[in-house]
Amino acid sequence: MRRYLLRRGGIGLVQILVVATAVFWLAEALPGDAAVVAAGDDPDPARIALIREQLGLDEPASQRYLSWLTGLATGDLGSSLRTGQPVTELLAPALGPTVVLAVVTLAVLLPLALTLGVTAAVRADGWYDRAVSTTTVALNAVPEFALAVLLVAVFALQLGVLPATAVGATGSSLLAEPSLLALPVAVLLCRSLCALTRLVRAGMVDALDAEYVAYARRHGVTGGRLLLRHALPNALPPAVQQLARTADWLIGGIIVVEAVFAVPGVSSVLVTAVSTRDIPVVQALAVLFAVVTVAVNLLADLVCHRLAPRSAVVT
Amino acid sequence: MTATPETERDHGRGRGPAGSGRATLAVGVVLALGPLLLAVVGPALVPLVDQPRAAPYSSADGHPFGTDQLGRDVLAMTLAGGRSMLVLAAVATVAAYTLGIALGAAAAATRRRWLDDLLSRPLDILLAVPSLLILLLVATLTDRGAGMVVLVVALVNAPAIARIVRAVGLDALRSPAAEAMHLQGERWVVVTIGHLVRVARRPLLADLGARITAAVYLVGAANFLGVGLPPTAADWAVAVDRNRAGLLLQPWAVLLPAVLIVLFTVGVNLCADTLTRRRR
Repeated sequence: MRRYLLRRGGIGLVQILVVATAVFWLAEALPGDAAVVAAGDDPDPARIALIREQLGLDEPASQRYLSWLTGLATGDLGSSLRTGQPVTELLAPALGPTVVLAVVTLAVLLPLALTLGVTAAVRADGWYDRAVSTTTVALNAVPEFALAVLLVAVFALQLGVLPATAVGATGSSLLAEPSLLALPVAVLLCRSLCALTRLVRAGMVDALDAEYVAYARRHGVTGGRLLLRHALPNALPPAVQQLARTADWLIGGIIVVEAVFAVPGVSSVLVTAVSTRDIPVVQALAVLFAVVTVAVNLLADLVCHRLAPRSAVVT
Repeated sequence: MTATPETERDHGRGRGPAGSGRATLAVGVVLALGPLLLAVVGPALVPLVDQPRAAPYSSADGHPFGTDQLGRDVLAMTLAGGRSMLVLAAVATVAAYTLGIALGAAAAATRRRWLDDLLSRPLDILLAVPSLLILLLVATLTDRGAGMVVLVVALVNAPAIARIVRAVGLDALRSPAAEAMHLQGERWVVVTIGHLVRVARRPLLADLGARITAAVYLVGAANFLGVGLPPTAADWAVAVDRNRAGLLLQPWAVLLPAVLIVLFTVGVNLCADTLTRRRR
């Protein structure tokens, strides 16, 4: 286990390093002078000179690259072109709402996907199974912004049962008012529910067909205990792997959902930075999101390794 | 990457419910066809309803669905706004397949392990960054616009295709059929690509629906976040973004394009799912 952990951790670190490198050199490689690009609609020579200085464009690229990497390693994510604030300061107040949104979505997604997948597998190919499969497939990868405004129109404006936006919310106020979270979480669930439910179901169907479950049955194990104790652990690894990919979708989804519902989270910082071409902030956030994705993948692999050590494959 | 339930490896009884395919397919086709026809035919119908500008978000006479944020007729904007999203998504999908097949074929065909790694690994690394974020990063660093969106969407969708082609190709290119073609003096590129596409046809087609929805998703998100088409463009996603402020005053300006986008993606999902299951 320890060897596996070290090896997987090493791969994860290399991945993050490659992403950080790519994010840096992409800015160098794309056509156009970064300072001119950042100046955007205000190409005043004095301003461009100022941005050049802020970005340190007069130094050789290799030197800037090294200081960018050492900065990342020491938790210094650079500073904003627009306000001059360190990126970490910009992000601090925005982390709360985003983390709450992500955690609550996962806390609903996991039990829901497990329940749907297991119950569908018990009577595979029955009408319930079909209904679950068709519904989740239909909602797979529907653009969040379109779905969100529809839900807002129905639940917030027509029925008036849920708030339309989460303007001015903080992490703690989101937790205190679950109604604020209802629509954003519902929209986020739609995109990832399908693949996860399907994998749990497929794994359960195979597990229920397997020799050891038949053996447990012959020994009088029935019902919930048979499903949860004997079949489910062996059905889970592929679903856990999918969960890692789901993290990627959730991050992308959260960017859009926060924009739609005006949640003052990390994505609002990101969208502002993109629209004002605040290059250092966007670069820092790209690396940050990559770290999160890699960490989730690593965690998923470790869980799979624990669940079924035989099937662990290090790629 | 995006939107690909790569669960097609199920075996045994876990194939997914059978039998209900026809009804689901019919529903899917009906749902997707409406927005699709509107996107294709709509722009030609605009002159029939084109109206002089009125006040923003008004419900004046002659505007069956009122006006949008700039006082333009919502019906006209909806008729004109489907084409851009579908064309961008289609071009990006075709480009993704071209790129993915080329990369996958090269990775499968090469006898040099390091070249295979070099072609496949960066694609895996790309997967560590959410695709929407790659799009936003590029949009920050360079000129925005439709071309940039198409290019990035093609790039982030290519790895999944390359992987399918490579997996199939590793066996197919060592097969007697491929050897025979070589011996008959066929050109190398023709043999490799042609043979691979023939062999990988099924898994690639099974994946097509997921690719289309992924492309529509990303193109829509880019336009919604304002890094794609200009804010005055006639486009469903731009319309949803621009007219959100008037949701209380003139809901149609947002609801019409949003409903069309949702119907289209749900329809494509249902079609793709049924076709995928049939192919197995």
